Amino acid sequence: MSAAEPTPSAPVDATEDGVGWRRMHPVTPLLKGWKVVVAVLVVGWAQVGDDLRHVADVLGGHGWMFALGGLVLVALVAVTWSGIAWRATRFAVTDEAVHIRQGVVFRQQRQARLDRLQAVDLVQPLLARLVGLAELRLEVAGGSGSRVSLAFLRESDAVALRAELLALAAGLRRPDAAGPAATAPVGSSSVPGPVPVGAGGATARVAAPAFETAPEQVLYELPMPRLLVSIALSGGTLWLAVGLVALVVAAVSGAPAEALFSVVPLVFGLASWFWARLNGAATFRAATSPDGIRLRHGLTETRSQTVPPGRVQAVRLSQPLLWRGKDWWRVQVNVAGYGAEGQSRESETVLHPVATRDEAMTALWLVLPDLGVDDPRAAVDAGLSGLDDAGGYTAAPRRARWVDPVGWRRHGVLVTRRALLLRSGRLWRRLDVVPHERTQSLGLEQGPIQRRLKVASVVAHSTPGPVTPRVEHLDAMAASALLDEQAARARQARRAAGPEQWMRSR
Amino acid sequence: MSADPFDLDLAWTPVSTRLATARLTVLALWLGPLLLAAVVAAVLSGVAWLWVLPAVLVAFGGWVLWLVPRQVHALSYAEREDDLLIRRGIMFRSLVVVPYGRMQYVDVTAGPLDRRFGIAKVQLHTAASSTDASISGLPPSEAARLRDRLASRGESRLAGL
Repeated sequence: MSAAEPTPSAPVDATEDGVGWRRMHPVTPLLKGWKVVVAVLVVGWAQVGDDLRHVADVLGGHGWMFALGGLVLVALVAVTWSGIAWRATRFAVTDEAVHIRQGVVFRQQRQARLDRLQAVDLVQPLLARLVGLAELRLEVAGGSGSRVSLAFLRESDAVALRAELLALAAGLRRPDAAGPAATAPVGSSSVPGPVPVGAGGATARVAAPAFETAPEQVLYELPMPRLLVSIALSGGTLWLAVGLVALVVAAVSGAPAEALFSVVPLVFGLASWFWARLNGAATFRAATSPDGIRLRHGLTETRSQTVPPGRVQAVRLSQPLLWRGKDWWRVQVNVAGYGAEGQSRESETVLHPVATRDEAMTALWLVLPDLGVDDPRAAVDAGLSGLDDAGGYTAAPRRARWVDPVGWRRHGVLVTRRALLLRSGRLWRRLDVVPHERTQSLGLEQGPIQRRLKVASVVAHSTPGPVTPRVEHLDAMAASALLDEQAARARQARRAAGPEQWMRSR
Repeated sequence: MSADPFDLDLAWTPVSTRLATARLTVLALWLGPLLLAAVVAAVLSGVAWLWVLPAVLVAFGGWVLWLVPRQVHALSYAEREDDLLIRRGIMFRSLVVVPYGRMQYVDVTAGPLDRRFGIAKVQLHTAASSTDASISGLPPSEAARLRDRLASRGESRLAGL
């Protein structure tokens, strides 16, 4: 709660506490209101989806007028409420933090420290894209709900603000600030100066930093045909085939129409799953820049993610069963903050949706330029498809076959100078890479059968996300020694690790 | 190195045995009324096989009476220069190593029953939600000492994420 709120008549650029408070773009309420209408439509659809005939009967009379009227009412209320919320929302950027004030009934003021910045996302839902607006999301890894969302800003403003935030987070200073003169990364594209954000051009930036967007170099793109084939080779396709066969059989055998309608929700579920896959991964592009990894993807809703150096906590390379013939891999990462909002945002933790083995190597290099072995390719190859002690891995002993008869030869771990590589999975192959300095805590686990066999599992705890690094059924004493040594290694790596502000030398 | 993979040649501090008393008390508060109800039901109805229920409850109580002290005995911790180790479990054993520099915050909690028995629980939180690092059954003075030590250690070894 903020102590002193400006009166409603206060100018938008009220400069209190020495910071310039700014407002979101005035079109924001319309976009947010529209979202509510869509949500109501989706929920309504889900409610009646099972009973299409009944709905047709109701809407057949004058029912559709009521439905439409209700929807208009919902839209009006939603837009009005969003408008009130918009009036109460302001944000400001200082050298150390982003401040945001929001809330109508319960007021909230939040500060996101820039030196804790984990990732910056520029998100453009379809409608926002059409009107040239964008949402800026800042992840600061303060647990669930710590994300700061600035929605919506003009696209050019959002891009400029992102460059500014990243430069400040990197430890650069504004040109007019005391201290070392800013040497912003020299970019090929110059960003236009600060553009008024508020209504009527009332906003003025206190300090006008001229940070330019860091130059980037594209490393890989995902071709559309490969994405389509990869989706066709996923588990969802099998379910779709089963569903279609069931439908055809039912139709041929003369099942009543009601029975056919009951399949409709299933088909819709699958369709939305396919769509989510396609929409999230289409036009996928990864690039490097001094600001870190830049990922761009999305078909209708585009998302441009920037993950600064050293923010990736762990990497997973995994291969669904059906991708084996093509030797394709999915590369996922743990970034603090991304995983905190639940599992629904699967697309934001993907470093490469469908990588060839070479691209998977590139993606891994993007996160960890130095793997800490003389022949990184061999180490990763052995991790991806090797068995037993190939590539220098410490593998599970032969007696582990009693607990895992299929995959025991794949369980293995390799310690390099910079990272821990954990591999597993005979059918669904998997390789997890955790840099030593990113290990949070370590665990050793042993069940009753494992105890009999004198084997144990080692777990490396990482921030919430898709990567849960663990290696099963190692020799118990070897696992214990690994745990002990790894704790020491992680400690040393942390001491040697670079500063949080990546443009600053220590 | 010793033959036990969970030992690591450290001086392990067991938690207070009062934890077992506290846990058994909670269980007794549940089991007692249940047992009473079962016995009353068996006596009043006069059906012989209804005595199975109290028998099962008594057997369960006996098993718990045997198990809980062992479990509490297995729960121990060790402080090292740079990290804290927590060990637990008999059948399913686990050992977790938490570096001081990785700690985000420390919780000390004590419920009404815990206070009565003079124990408290210290929980360590890192940025990884999967870290399960809690020590139940510490005497309050030890809990406070550990908390302060962890806090000061964490500060001097603080690294980002």
